[in-house]
Amino acid sequence: MLNQLKARFGSGLAIGIVGMIAIWLIALVVLPQLLMVDYSFRPNLLPADIGGPKDTYSLVNYETLFSNHIHLKIFFKTIWSSVLVTALTLIVSYPIAFYLAKVATPQKAALCLLLLIIPFWINEILRTFSWYIILAYKGPLNAALLGLGLIDRPIRFLSGDGGVLIGMVYAYILFMIFPIYNAIESLDTNQIKAARNLGAGWIRTHWRVIIPHAKPGIATGCIMTFMLAAGSYAVPALLGSPGSRWFTQIIYNWFFEGGNWNQGAAYAFLLLVICIGFIALVMRVFKVGLGDIAR
Amino acid sequence: MDSSVHLDNVVMQFGDFTAIQKSDLKIESGEFFSFLGPSGCGKTTILNMISGFLDPTEGCVKIGGQDMAGVPANKRPTSMIFQNLALFPLMTVAENIEFGLEVRGVSKSERKKASDRLLALVALEGSGHKKVSELSGGQKQRIAIARALAVEPQVLLLDEPLSALDLKLRQHMRTELKEIQRKTGITFIYITHDQGEALTMSDRVAVMSAGRIQQVADPITLYRDPQTAFVASFVGENNAIQGKVERIDSGIAEIHCGELGVLKGRVQSSVAIGEEATLFIRPEHFRLQPEEGMLSVAVEIEEVNFEGAYLTLSTSTTATSKQTLTIQLGAHQYNDDLAKGKALSLSYNVSDAIVIGGDSNA
Repeated sequence: MLNQLKARFGSGLAIGIVGMIAIWLIALVVLPQLLMVDYSFRPNLLPADIGGPKDTYSLVNYETLFSNHIHLKIFFKTIWSSVLVTALTLIVSYPIAFYLAKVATPQKAALCLLLLIIPFWINEILRTFSWYIILAYKGPLNAALLGLGLIDRPIRFLSGDGGVLIGMVYAYILFMIFPIYNAIESLDTNQIKAARNLGAGWIRTHWRVIIPHAKPGIATGCIMTFMLAAGSYAVPALLGSPGSRWFTQIIYNWFFEGGNWNQGAAYAFLLLVICIGFIALVMRVFKVGLGDIAR
Repeated sequence: MDSSVHLDNVVMQFGDFTAIQKSDLKIESGEFFSFLGPSGCGKTTILNMISGFLDPTEGCVKIGGQDMAGVPANKRPTSMIFQNLALFPLMTVAENIEFGLEVRGVSKSERKKASDRLLALVALEGSGHKKVSELSGGQKQRIAIARALAVEPQVLLLDEPLSALDLKLRQHMRTELKEIQRKTGITFIYITHDQGEALTMSDRVAVMSAGRIQQVADPITLYRDPQTAFVASFVGENNAIQGKVERIDSGIAEIHCGELGVLKGRVQSSVAIGEEATLFIRPEHFRLQPEEGMLSVAVEIEEVNFEGAYLTLSTSTTATSKQTLTIQLGAHQYNDDLAKGKALSLSYNVSDAIVIGGDSNA
């Protein structure tokens, strides 16, 4: 890369550009992360004791999670719920992506994409809060359902994980739709016609021709959605009930309420490891490589 | 088994645009039938109506005498070979061929038998395990044929399937397709803009232009007796000379072609005295030495093109109107005398020239 830049801009400017990128990556990304890893292996000490005899490396912070059953339960619930959010988002997004890529006329597709994007011009907190209003006990959704006679008494959407799931599916839908849309759009329409022509019904056409082709897009969408869901803070904080806390909220509490950065760093690091494990698993299941996802 | 295809007064409109003008056409069972026309003439639309990807705005498509209205594409007894072949790249060659059978719930062992038999038919035994990307252009072509035949269609639809191949392979595949059609005995409907393909392979050809079927005939009739000016100029080479009809006598029209004087030709269609008409003479029908009963035109050579088996001369008439005429001669007639600027007298048999009413550009 440096040689290409040198050829184009001359060595002075090229070194400048590469240097700035290097400083950015090292000083703002790599070093803080390494610092957090370092923190996570050290005890939480008073400022006076830091660097003293008590400041030794250990796995104590990591063990805390496994000895605290409540935290452990929230940890696994977060992972499980994120999987659920990912699955729900995929179910909602695939038909939309297929419609946009292969069914809609270009004008309709453009209009739909615009309608999907416009809400995302609004801050995530506000969008989530609007769901809080919609889903409230005396909110418009309950009023509508009552008015239609579908329910006799309002539903407490926000008491369990339901509100969080709905909010997250909505919050991350674009991250699922776009990769799948791109993947399906690149499929030659004649492939679909050929499958139909050979007698395949719609389900088989999707299963044997369209989904295999869209696999890298589906994998990318699932990975992004899962990462965002597992690392989400605003949605569970606003739409979750006290009984449906997210692991990110525990991490937040360690940092800003418990004042124990070392403990928080260990928790955050564990979440990261699990997320990377999930990505590896998804890539294995969908049989896609890193190259497919980067496409 | 009746595998005839009847386009029963079909019309296809897309909004205000009429892609297919009202057409009524019956393709016989077991026939090799071609639709020939320039791109955008509506021939692919016809294929899409037969295969069920489009529903005609008016009229109906009947296959084997049965109305196909409301029968979706995946339930029709047709099979299509796409222009870009549309093989499934993520499946092996055998999976591609067996796909249609898999859909029909045929057992794995039966499917294997079928794909082996079809691979033998297209002379690609033992390539079942290969990936599609490992095949050459010609091999892909044959796999597409095998895949389409696997579902035992009554009608095979071919959408310019040879256009991506090089010349030699294309000529080879023509013979091969004809051979497969003879072996299977099913109806082939072939779409092409290449008249060579249409004329060599087909039992009958429909020439199309701007959504209208111009003429349906066997290749020889189409070449000898084109019914419209479009067919006359689209199928094979032709020289068109405009003029005004002066006399019609027992099937021979005399037309006054400006400074070229009066020329004669067989009356073909819609010719009326006093009206505009076009005289068509094919390049190979001109002679350098006049014979008994021939008419002549004085020209000057503009260009000589030696093309191997034959040579073509571009000439223009010596009259001020400069009508261009192309002549085709056997290679043995070549001599150094034939050079730019040489004056010639071209002769033709009146029975070899045809006269079609109206403007040739219409």
